[in-house]
Amino acid sequence: MMRPDPVLLEIVSAALVSVAEEMSVTVWRTSRSTTVRELLDYSTAVFDAKGRNVAQAARMPVHLNSMELCLHHIAAHHIPLDEWRDGEVIVTNDPYCGGQHLPDFIAFKPVFKDGQRIAITCVLIHHVDVGGGAAGGYNAKAVEVFQEGLRLPPVRIVRDGKMQEDLFATILQNVREPETFRGDFLSQIAALDVGARAMLRLADRYGVDALDEIGAALLDHAEHEMRNALEALPDGTYIAEDFVDGDGIEEGAKRISVALTIKGSDIALDFTGTAAQAKGPINATMATTTSAVYYAVIAACGVTATVNAGCYRPITVTAPEGSLVNANFPAPVSMRMLPGHKIATAVLRAFAQVLPDRIPASYYGTTFNHAVNIRRADGRRQVYFDSELGGWGAHPERDGPNGLAAGFHNGQNTPIEMIEALFPLRFTSYGLVPGSGGAGRMRGGLGIVREWEFLAESGLLNSAFDAFDSLPYGLDGGQPGRGGTLSVVRDGVTTALAAKTIGHALRPGDIVRMETPGGGGHGDPGLRDAAAVAEDKADGYV
Amino acid sequence: MSKPRITIAVDIGGTFTDLEFRDTDTGAAHSLKSPTTPDNPARGLTDAIALAGERFGFTTADIALILHGTTIATNAVLTRDLPAGALITTEGFEDVLEIGRHARSDIYALRGPDRSILVPRRHRFGAPGRIGASGEVVREIDVSALDAMIERVVASGAKATAICLLNAYANPTQEIAIRDRLLARCPEMAVSCSHEVSPEIREFERTATTVLNALLVPVIARYVSALRTRLMDAQITAPVYLIQSNGGAISLDAAVQAPVKLLLSGPSGGVLAAQKLANALDTLDVVGVDMGGTSYDVAVVAGGERTVVTQGEIDGLPVRVPMVEMNTIGAGGGSIAFVDPSGRLQVGPRSAGAVPGPVCYNRGGTEPTVTDVNLILGRLDPATFLGGRFALDLDGARAALRDRIEEPLSLTPDHAASGILAVVNAKLAASIKFSLFAKGLDPRDFALMSFGGAGGLHAIEVAEELGMTQVIFPRDPSTFSAHGILFSDIQHDLSRTEILPLAAESLPALNAMADDLRTRGSALLDQDKMPEDKRILTLTADLRYRGQAFELMTAVPDGALTAETLAVLRTRFEEQHRQRFSFDDPKEAVELVTLRLTAIGVLGEADLPPVPYVPSESASVTHRPVHVDGAWFDTPVHRQLSLAAGSIVTGPAIIEQEYTTLLIPGRWLLTMTATGDMTARKQP
Repeated sequence: MMRPDPVLLEIVSAALVSVAEEMSVTVWRTSRSTTVRELLDYSTAVFDAKGRNVAQAARMPVHLNSMELCLHHIAAHHIPLDEWRDGEVIVTNDPYCGGQHLPDFIAFKPVFKDGQRIAITCVLIHHVDVGGGAAGGYNAKAVEVFQEGLRLPPVRIVRDGKMQEDLFATILQNVREPETFRGDFLSQIAALDVGARAMLRLADRYGVDALDEIGAALLDHAEHEMRNALEALPDGTYIAEDFVDGDGIEEGAKRISVALTIKGSDIALDFTGTAAQAKGPINATMATTTSAVYYAVIAACGVTATVNAGCYRPITVTAPEGSLVNANFPAPVSMRMLPGHKIATAVLRAFAQVLPDRIPASYYGTTFNHAVNIRRADGRRQVYFDSELGGWGAHPERDGPNGLAAGFHNGQNTPIEMIEALFPLRFTSYGLVPGSGGAGRMRGGLGIVREWEFLAESGLLNSAFDAFDSLPYGLDGGQPGRGGTLSVVRDGVTTALAAKTIGHALRPGDIVRMETPGGGGHGDPGLRDAAAVAEDKADGYV
Repeated sequence: MSKPRITIAVDIGGTFTDLEFRDTDTGAAHSLKSPTTPDNPARGLTDAIALAGERFGFTTADIALILHGTTIATNAVLTRDLPAGALITTEGFEDVLEIGRHARSDIYALRGPDRSILVPRRHRFGAPGRIGASGEVVREIDVSALDAMIERVVASGAKATAICLLNAYANPTQEIAIRDRLLARCPEMAVSCSHEVSPEIREFERTATTVLNALLVPVIARYVSALRTRLMDAQITAPVYLIQSNGGAISLDAAVQAPVKLLLSGPSGGVLAAQKLANALDTLDVVGVDMGGTSYDVAVVAGGERTVVTQGEIDGLPVRVPMVEMNTIGAGGGSIAFVDPSGRLQVGPRSAGAVPGPVCYNRGGTEPTVTDVNLILGRLDPATFLGGRFALDLDGARAALRDRIEEPLSLTPDHAASGILAVVNAKLAASIKFSLFAKGLDPRDFALMSFGGAGGLHAIEVAEELGMTQVIFPRDPSTFSAHGILFSDIQHDLSRTEILPLAAESLPALNAMADDLRTRGSALLDQDKMPEDKRILTLTADLRYRGQAFELMTAVPDGALTAETLAVLRTRFEEQHRQRFSFDDPKEAVELVTLRLTAIGVLGEADLPPVPYVPSESASVTHRPVHVDGAWFDTPVHRQLSLAAGSIVTGPAIIEQEYTTLLIPGRWLLTMTATGDMTARKQP
């Protein structure tokens, strides 16, 4: 291991993280769409000159741990790193060029000093729409990526510091909300610039060589901590599985199998035995799969140092081509979060066999993305996109929190008042679902209910839900959490809708209700503390 | 009998009650410290006043005004010593308080975080009724259902109830109806309504703030009642005002209704003092830092004005009322240095606190802290620390550093010790940079002003880290908050939310909102019996580009709003946006989210002459070895109170104040000013 001065190492490490944080604040405060500004569906990170991720802002694990793969893919197959020029921004959203799904635009900016590349800044934003067969990008009926929207290979959207307006106009022409897209994209570019300027200040202060050396040492330290944690675990192979619901085209749950092998300080995850890729858009490319694995392994190892690409070094991922977790072009992938969550929960379930005191039961394990394509009486069109999550799995030492971001993603909700001020919806309920947390010695967290009345002339409801049938597992005798639901009430008649619903027509007065899954329980419910049982009853949690 | 002439400021802290007063006839000012009386802090307050009267020759009849900073509300929240409460929401939204905003901060943690939900689910009740997004009544309140709900509220045993209905910021009538019905049934109940506490959009933040307010009402009511009794017993009849989080004063009656506005009462005194001193020294851009044992508070004075935010947090709980902007990180004298499992040197945020405290306190601490390192490097003198009342264990500190840091990292003692300071100073500098960055400001344009017990040893090195070239040390950092409070004015902040395009078509609505705010602000100042010539009403608009989540507070020109006013507002907004975010977007529409009124009633007499400074000790310089600028020097040590106005001290040097020590590295010159404050400048 290289050993730069430990004091300088700490000072520069903190400075690198604060560069990523400055970029994050810039996106947060300047973006336009509710997706970015309220749901916080974006991430920022800093790479060294060689393209290794050295610092992350604490946002979305799903994004953060996929950025480096994307960069490597671009460099290896599209634009070699030594062809990246000062004043350029390179962007892609293509899942088959290292991306995950089309709404996520990953933008990189190389930073130069005296003609030498010294760093790369990266901002990933989930944009509100990318065209394609459904507003918001979740076309449940897609059977090819072509039906999911505009696909942008890695291209230089900015050259010599100037936006390539013809290319930008082409993108805007192909999305449903060009103004919002434009605002979010400008915010993305502004954050890259903020990060680049901050990196130049660091290079001036500490010198390019020192930055390089410290970046390398930070990666080594992170690797060292991971290896220490893995070394402490008994060697062996631990097998687990989890499931996603059907893709909305073909019935039946799809299996995700993982064999987790620990040998010394190395860990290998092999997904052989996982279901073949689906017809519908519940597939993952390697960027998603690897990112989910990285998240789960880093969390299970309890890494306390700054998370960076050094954490990835002990990890090997094997996924059969053409499977749900390594789909072949042109399989549709818009709902890649659904397998992504379950890849993470499957890996954690395997870890529970060696770390029974540290690993919780499954959290809600999905992302409740939904969108309504709205037409108002005056002909105006709007896209309402939103997302919801559920309850945490119970931990061996405590109940799972109710309705809180967990696992592979992280995000905020949109205030109901903000939605009602902007969209023709009126909520009738936003609350917890009693009884949805899995029973156990420790109880799973409760899922969430959202219920609203549709007020506009007409609308089309799309959903990309999961875990209706494939429930969040309990551990050590704990019960699974309750699954999700989606239904519409019209004229007093309730109709259950599929998890993957596309274009369900809404009329004024229709009431849409969705319930998200609760977390799994931990331990035998019969052993639950009597006082805790009484509290649960008094609070109506059960 | 002569006219009352004494203005008194009192800041009650955990250990000391600090008092400063000014005689408005002579301009004379004095301060003192006396012990805090935790069982009844009001007693400590009247004791301090009696002591000051005795010592400086005034009677209770001479007192014109008492301004009072208090941590009663803050402590009640930190210790969760709050009464049982209930929450009334719109039916179907009882869980908004618990659901919060979802996002978590530790993204790799597998064990659920600790969450503090101040009203349990069993005490949250849904009211039958509904207001729509534009303030329309969607569903009337069903009175019989309401009465049944009120019975359940009463049965819950709650002493305080928060009412927060969806969209109540746009139409408060249903909140008012529920409150009236509840009070009719239960007149003793402390009730807070969201349209009064925080009448702005975003239901979770409004609910959380209203709940906190309701739970604090009985706490502050009890204190105010004790205070009144105590003042009466002491025959003090002068009006008393409490200091709010925004730095303004509020009457006792108003404070009992809005106690959530007192949560930063203590720290806001320091910010007021920083603002006052910045203006007095004609250094208008200042970062004020307060470094204690466990935390480091950063506040910004820009252009001579303290910066204010519309939302903050206390102990993880969101509080949406205007408050001085204060960023706090967990770093102070007690911060612990350790080597983490990956082999990296870390300092804080873990703190040794007061118990066991640093290793050198010899009270059982085993891990080296920032204070230990300052001692090892000669920056603190065991002989004079806290007036020499307290023997410090230098050998113990050295042994802890050796075992825990030097050996694991193979560092020399000097490198380990100075490295720990470098790491902690970098953290302090980063927190300052972040405070300024969020506003698009550059540290190099600012002076650093350091107060608080532990700050003096770090201030100049932190300034160096940020490229700042001037550091200000106030004359008496130990009563700095009380000093600031002395210059507080009455301040009421009012707001109204309505999302409107910043365009001519919105002018009638905007003017109606502005008139309503001015009427209400004037009425509040009427209650304070403020004469017309002492009133200042200013409007600000929270503006954003259409669809953004965050607004920038933009000053509104005086007078009625016109098309020209809107043009000025747009220009100001775009300048701010460019400054903060490095771009603007002239093509995009701008919208208003909230209109705010600040109604000020001027209390103090800000233009009193400065109090001249006279050294009270004879000149004496000693020397001791201090590790500074990377090496050991036999360094001169000065007593602050022996330095004459105009005298200059060249670094490296140590200045000892009564409660703190200042470190002046080489290439810095410290000047004693005519007011006793000190400024250090970096030599080019």
